[in-house]
Amino acid sequence: KDQATASISAQPVKTFQWKLVTSWPKNFPGLGLGPEKFAQYVNEMSAGRLTIKVYGAGELVPGFEVFDAISQGTVQMGHSGAYYWKGKMPAAPIFSAIPFGMTATEFNAWLHYGGGLALWQELYKPFGVVPMAGGNSGAQFAGWFKKEINSIDDLKGLKMRIPGLGGEVLKRAGAIPVTLTGGEIFSSLQSGAIDASEWVGPYNDLAFGFYQAADYYYSSVWHETGTNLEFIINEKALNELPKDLQKIVEVAAKAVNEDMLDEYNARNNQALQTLINQHQVQVREFPKDVLVALKGYTQEVIAEQVAADPTFAKIWQSYSEFLQSMRQYNDLTLKAYFENR
Amino acid sequence: MEYLALLMFVVVCGVLLLGYPVALTLAGTALLFAGVGSVFGIFEPSFLNALPSRIYGVINNQTLLAVPLFVFMGAMLERSKIAENLLNAMSILLGRFRGGLGISVTLVGMLLAASTGIVGATVVTMGLLSLPTMLKRGYNPQFSTGIICATGTLGQIIPPSIALVLLGDVLSSAYQKAQLQMGLFNPETVSVGDLFAGAVIPGLVLVALYTTYCLLYAMFKPEQVPSLTQADINQIQQGRSKLSLMFSALVPPLLLILVVLGAILLGFATPTEAAGVGAMGATLLALYQGALSRENLTAVMDSTVKITAMVFLILIGASLFSLVFRGFGGEELVQGFFHQMPGGVIGATLVVMLVIFLLGFILDFIEITFVVVPIVAPILLAMGLDPIWLGIMIAINLQTSFLTPPFGFALFYLRGVADKSVKTSSIYRGVVPFIIIQLLLLLALAQWPRLVTWLPEMIYG
Amino acid sequence: MFTQWLTLTISAIDKFTEHTGKLIAWLTLAMVLLSFAIVVLRYGFNLGWVAMQESVLYFHGMVFMLGAAYTLKADGHVRVDIFYHKFSLKQQALVNIFGGIFMLLPVCISIFIISFDYVMTSWRIMEQSAEAGGLPFVYINKSLILLLAVTLTLQGIAEICRNILRLNIGDANSIAGGQR
Ligand code: NA
Ligand code: NA
Repeated sequence: KDQATASISAQPVKTFQWKLVTSWPKNFPGLGLGPEKFAQYVNEMSAGRLTIKVYGAGELVPGFEVFDAISQGTVQMGHSGAYYWKGKMPAAPIFSAIPFGMTATEFNAWLHYGGGLALWQELYKPFGVVPMAGGNSGAQFAGWFKKEINSIDDLKGLKMRIPGLGGEVLKRAGAIPVTLTGGEIFSSLQSGAIDASEWVGPYNDLAFGFYQAADYYYSSVWHETGTNLEFIINEKALNELPKDLQKIVEVAAKAVNEDMLDEYNARNNQALQTLINQHQVQVREFPKDVLVALKGYTQEVIAEQVAADPTFAKIWQSYSEFLQSMRQYNDLTLKAYFENR
Repeated sequence: MEYLALLMFVVVCGVLLLGYPVALTLAGTALLFAGVGSVFGIFEPSFLNALPSRIYGVINNQTLLAVPLFVFMGAMLERSKIAENLLNAMSILLGRFRGGLGISVTLVGMLLAASTGIVGATVVTMGLLSLPTMLKRGYNPQFSTGIICATGTLGQIIPPSIALVLLGDVLSSAYQKAQLQMGLFNPETVSVGDLFAGAVIPGLVLVALYTTYCLLYAMFKPEQVPSLTQADINQIQQGRSKLSLMFSALVPPLLLILVVLGAILLGFATPTEAAGVGAMGATLLALYQGALSRENLTAVMDSTVKITAMVFLILIGASLFSLVFRGFGGEELVQGFFHQMPGGVIGATLVVMLVIFLLGFILDFIEITFVVVPIVAPILLAMGLDPIWLGIMIAINLQTSFLTPPFGFALFYLRGVADKSVKTSSIYRGVVPFIIIQLLLLLALAQWPRLVTWLPEMIYG
Repeated sequence: MFTQWLTLTISAIDKFTEHTGKLIAWLTLAMVLLSFAIVVLRYGFNLGWVAMQESVLYFHGMVFMLGAAYTLKADGHVRVDIFYHKFSLKQQALVNIFGGIFMLLPVCISIFIISFDYVMTSWRIMEQSAEAGGLPFVYINKSLILLLAVTLTLQGIAEICRNILRLNIGDANSIAGGQR
């Protein structure tokens, strides 16, 4: 028995060095800390057998090129958001944010116990990419506006930086969705080149200094109701890992998935109070009829997506059925409780 | 293995001196090092697979969209003789005074700089337009070449400047990186517009200093800078009234400059939008002055393609170079060097400024912006330097570097267009006073950083 | 015989590059007109389309990716000419030949090989814009990477040939255009 142990311990331990690319600047609050923590967890749990070096956006590849880098095997894994891959897979945004969609809790339930994860894996499979939930920003604010929105007419001609399906919805309401890179948003809002911009929520928005550029902060949740982030891994690289390391990767991702939401939940209100008390930001809500109109446009946009892409239709069916059952349940329980506590 | 990164840097500087195009030399040398490194197992070849993503990132970069538009605008103003008319009008106005032609050249150079940002193009234009005139009027060749070279480089600093657009793109990501490294959860941003605003006062100070020098020169050596005779003036004026000449030459370009610069600084438009409006404005101006012939339009489009392709191929070459540099661990090496350096932030700034100044002898602004600044800027900014101040210091530093014999770019450009009778040595001697003026400005900005930071704060709060 | 063959190669490639360059040049005008229209529509009429914004970006990409070979032909890629401009014509020709063989060709061929799968993947899925209302031609835009490699390789070969001729003839004036 001793001999067997000796021969095992005499074998050199095989180690793995991975590179992880992200769509955010390194150490960016919230989003950017996720991959850093992941690397640290994996390193410690595997006692250094799997080490992961994190590269911020642009250090190895630009932020919007993360998926390609994983798919091509340039690096082993990445941390990003699925809506950036809409151009490759029209259904991808379902796995990050859909206007008037699920909350973070509901989404994680669908993903891990409602068949969502299997659909997601199937979607990325042709690219040789394995997805895992990689954190959640929680419900996001409607954004920063230089003027008040009192009716749906106030959205007409409004130049707003808002990506993805939310932008498509706003366009139907008469707004002009504008695409701007991260660095351009602040100065464009400040200079008046755009009238409004969404970003994340108080924690990140405070960090970006938007309060210096716009007076009104709309807290209405509608376009990103619980934005899910992702760890994406090159399938071949993952399969080359021994089983225990694979498990470590999976569990570390799950830990980060929970940890990020915890952090946002803890810090968002803290940051909101700073915005209100120190920076005199005026927090507003969209009037009811504006939200009703936006929801109507959302249904139009989604119906078009469903008609255009069978994969979108298939995933949407699972998603919307789950959302429906969640709504029934939460209407019965939490909705009343939120009113009563 | 990190030392290979340094070796690569040294080797590429050497190979560049042979004179093969910079973009291809940067990329080729890096590739060679990557190849040799992979063979010996000290370079991970998978780094190179990031190349297509990085190139596509360049294709997709919205900030840099302003570059071809500003180039188009500058080429159009040059081609439609708007610059030439400006110089003529100015010399009628100021030519009666000793040294007046020199001041005219400075002011026209400033206006050209405020409408475009290509140093080479401005030096060549000014050299072709004004050097023969100055020499014909009996100006000292040394003084003439010096002032043409110096004002020709104003495009570097006076906004809108392509140099500042490129620098703004690089500095904004460096600044964000630096702040996050410092654990700042409230990172501020720096934009192209900020740099433009920061450059206005230093640019005007520089013009004022050049003008002062002209006046002093005229005072002490009046015979070297004679005034124009009435016959000279009549020849330029060609029977037109002075007022109408001034009006038609001055108002349109001034209006254009005001619109473009004002739109950016006052925040009506992003630099890219303003560049589009400026390019269109220059085209309409040419049309209005009857200079928009098919031939001129073709020439403008042609030089826009060539200059844009030149700039962006360097960007791609530099991107490959920095990828390999990173693959060899070069970034950690540079960071380590600066962290060990004594003298803190002042020492580090001095070293960086000196290195950039020396590199300015062999590298163009674009290469330095894309190869050197991304490596050193995050470190300096993490030490607490103001990004706008740093950007302007780098821009003026390089402007000086372009003027410094024997390796200044501006000197080569002027040598290329100056008459053979003008001695190279007099070009070299002529720029010396202007180099001193620029170094004084650098010192002044180091002493009073508010000269840079005041205006951006006033405008953007 | 060899000389004749070289001359033919050069003139064929030159012609191709010249034509593409002239064609590409019109895109700069299109960029100006489009960006001006975007500003007028957005500020004057509160109108805007993502596809329009993206088309300017597409033209921009085409201008410098396809214009690089044209610029090489016109010797427009900036050089460090401290020593180069003092070299004899023969020495300059040597720099261009060796640079072409050891810098340009390896770089272009490597870009082509490394980028091939990346571009083909985009074609396979007919990649579209990630923006709602954006252009559905990302695969064409990405193909510019391969086109840069191909056009620059072609013109690079022409330049190598041209400079070989210069070595032989020793008279730069006999072949018009190109790298001097
Ligand atoms: Na958002
Ligand atoms: Na300028």
